[in-house]
Amino acid sequence: MNKKKIQGFLSQYKVLALLTAIAVIWIFFGWLTEGDFLTPRNFSNLLRQMAITGMLASTMVLVIVLTEIDLSVGYMSGLLGGIAAILDVNYHLSLAANVSVILVLGVMIGLVTGYITAYMRIPSFIATLGLMLVYRGGVLGLTKGITVGPVSKDMVVIGQGYLPETLGNLLGVVLFALFCFIAYRTRQNRKFHKLAIPAMWQEIGKLVLCGAAILAFVVVLDSYEGIPVPVLILLFIVGAFTILSNKTVFGRHIYAIGSNIEATRLSGVNTERVRLIVFGLMGLMCAFAGLTTTARLAAGSPSAGQDGALDAIASCFIGGTSMRGGIGTVNGAMIGAVIMASLDNGMSMMNVDTFWQMIVKGSILILAVWMDVASGSER
Amino acid sequence: MSEYLLEMRGIVKEFSGVKAIDGIDLLVRPGECVGLCGENGAGKSTLVKVLSAVHPYGTWEGKILFEGKELKAANIRETEAAGIVIIHQELMMAPYLSVTENIFLGNEILSFGGFMDYSAMYARAAKLMDEVHMSDINVAMPVMNYGAGKQQLIEIAKALNKNAKLLILDEPSSALTETETKILLDLIKDLKRKGVACVYISHKIEEVAEIADTVTVIRDGTHVGTKPMAELDKGKIIAMMVGREIKNLFPREEHPIGDVIFEVKNVTCWDPTNPERKLVNDVSFQLRYGEILGVAGLVGAGRTELMSKIFGCYKGIHVGDVYLEGKKLNIKTPRDAVAHGICMVPEDRKRQGIVPLMAVGHNITLTVLNRHTGLGMIKGEEEMSVIHQQIDRMRIKTAHALLPIRGLSGGNQQKAVVAKMLLTMPKVLILDEPTRGIDVGAKYEIYKLLFELARQGISIIMVSSELPEVLGISDRVLVMGEGYLRGNFVNDSLTQEQVLTAALGKKPSLAA
Repeated sequence: MNKKKIQGFLSQYKVLALLTAIAVIWIFFGWLTEGDFLTPRNFSNLLRQMAITGMLASTMVLVIVLTEIDLSVGYMSGLLGGIAAILDVNYHLSLAANVSVILVLGVMIGLVTGYITAYMRIPSFIATLGLMLVYRGGVLGLTKGITVGPVSKDMVVIGQGYLPETLGNLLGVVLFALFCFIAYRTRQNRKFHKLAIPAMWQEIGKLVLCGAAILAFVVVLDSYEGIPVPVLILLFIVGAFTILSNKTVFGRHIYAIGSNIEATRLSGVNTERVRLIVFGLMGLMCAFAGLTTTARLAAGSPSAGQDGALDAIASCFIGGTSMRGGIGTVNGAMIGAVIMASLDNGMSMMNVDTFWQMIVKGSILILAVWMDVASGSER
Repeated sequence: MSEYLLEMRGIVKEFSGVKAIDGIDLLVRPGECVGLCGENGAGKSTLVKVLSAVHPYGTWEGKILFEGKELKAANIRETEAAGIVIIHQELMMAPYLSVTENIFLGNEILSFGGFMDYSAMYARAAKLMDEVHMSDINVAMPVMNYGAGKQQLIEIAKALNKNAKLLILDEPSSALTETETKILLDLIKDLKRKGVACVYISHKIEEVAEIADTVTVIRDGTHVGTKPMAELDKGKIIAMMVGREIKNLFPREEHPIGDVIFEVKNVTCWDPTNPERKLVNDVSFQLRYGEILGVAGLVGAGRTELMSKIFGCYKGIHVGDVYLEGKKLNIKTPRDAVAHGICMVPEDRKRQGIVPLMAVGHNITLTVLNRHTGLGMIKGEEEMSVIHQQIDRMRIKTAHALLPIRGLSGGNQQKAVVAKMLLTMPKVLILDEPTRGIDVGAKYEIYKLLFELARQGISIIMVSSELPEVLGISDRVLVMGEGYLRGNFVNDSLTQEQVLTAALGKKPSLAA
């Protein structure tokens, strides 16, 4: 056994390995379900299922990069979704007002977690383990243990609606134009600062690949009902978090803290505030996830969101986030979320018992962390 | 049987095609001490890792003979069984376990039934303590009660317990005071007489010169030479290490010194773990514009604590005022300090200086990233051009600006940390042990940089445990001892003896 070689391979071709894993899983389920798994309809379903995990994973990845963890996200989103259902069903709040209230509430609850961890110095593992039970108690108390529903039609759109075909196509075109524009601007800027510029054919090749991916995405979804609204929301979130983590000072500080909090503090960075805000964002994403869950089920269920934390954390680790912090990308986490959703969706289509699904998903989480450990060099 | 205890011949070790060491020989006779010298990155650690089977047999070329037999170890346990024990730079002790438990860790004496036989272990541990001249140590006490110097000797006792015939000491004195170092060197001499051979790896040439019988010098992974110490002196070893004669280790340059810009008044810091004890005791000093102020003292004199307090990162209770340009500053966090124009290059580069997973370039811009943004986003290209400027200016050797900093040598990492702090345009720059663990060439470049900065009007406080460095660089020298300020000298024909006497003295003797 050449350990070094395996380590090198795992770390160098992680993304490639992940995409291959997705292909293998899809072909496998496609074959077992005689092609049903690979239909546009199921693809659309799969993405909708993945949207909620994806929302949570997009911030969870930053939380893990900080070497923190948030075990409470599932129940927090359940609580926020439950409150949304109550506000809608019992108090007939308008959708806009309801969404605003829930998002603000989410940020506030997230900031509480952040305050407890960053300022009161309670390890996030313990803090969120406790909060998990608090939120669960909260949702049981508020809903009195029964499902709150049905919610209004307006609300259902968030979870079950689709974007009209023309709008979807337009979105694809705008997205592609944006990518082209960014590539152009980067080139100009690099020229201005006298930095090396990548070859033109590389740049064009990248854009062509990108365009093809967007085209395939839009065409496949259009051939069913269009882009699902939760997937659209997720796309915006992923875009925002990609920019946040790669292009902002705040994002850079997150990675610096994850890699060496002491050196970062001594460089004059307010490390407590960064951690506080990341947990605030985590709360915001819980609000999105909670709203989407409630809208999808058309009701607030006291048991909603139970597996949220596990799915989100597993997505991050599958997607190459390092358990030791400092490493991890939002895009990687999204690939992880697709893998988790594919397993869920495929096993459900094959009528695999729920208990088996749980066993498989739990094992996948451990396997993903093992991959991280095996591919990591000594630190 | 050959005359050598250890023969390493023609060792070649490649890392993905790059030769880290290329044909190195290392020969050790029984009972001999061989000094292994080389700059950082010369390949000393790699050689040690080959010997100790961290890189197991088969992953390198060449031959290792130990007591005439070829050594083909697959792991550290096998090399230790053969009688080769490595004592690492960083002490590997479990602080809450007792001295005895540490000595026998992994080698426990068991009684019937697989239980630990504490009586037997205590007895043996006490005997070992005698052997390392430390009979006064209580072997049942947790290791953390003893300082770094004693822990180092406990490590050696642990090695002796494994019947070591050859000790490899990798920078054993880097955390020790001079007295502790002397005890360590005496012990090694004693062990030599008992027939234990050793390989002594150190940046401190004085120690090598004192203890080694033979010196092997390597540079850039190649074998430069092996000579008996009798034919060598400090200067010759350094010349062999760097491949050039460094006539002047300290490139002293004249620079104008202005009025007082920075003042520290009545600083006292209490020990965070023992609130009765004062680590810094009522210290006040002044710093002038463009002045380089050296802060000397033995390990534990309270220098780092004083600097931490000034920079706003002291963990315990502290009092005292800091004035910059006549204004009293309220510094509660490092962020406040940086905002006021006070920067610090911390003592522990690995733990406090670098962000290991991040690119060299991104490490450098960490302090000033906010300046290079538009619409909330980092202007990546503008940042890159700043990074390239700094890498050129500091002559940081890296294949690419965006490679993780942890792959760089200590000296280059340190230059990046200094660059990071300089970008904030500080008025006062504090450097805590800026040249610790970096090679001679990189040290020289850092000294040159300090003089250049002083000429530009930056006031510098340099804490250093190396007296020649303090005397070679500073305009004025503060001496601390046991938390007190014990000396304040203008560096004019000041001698090491004077500084040491002040550091050890009982009463504060303020001159100048």
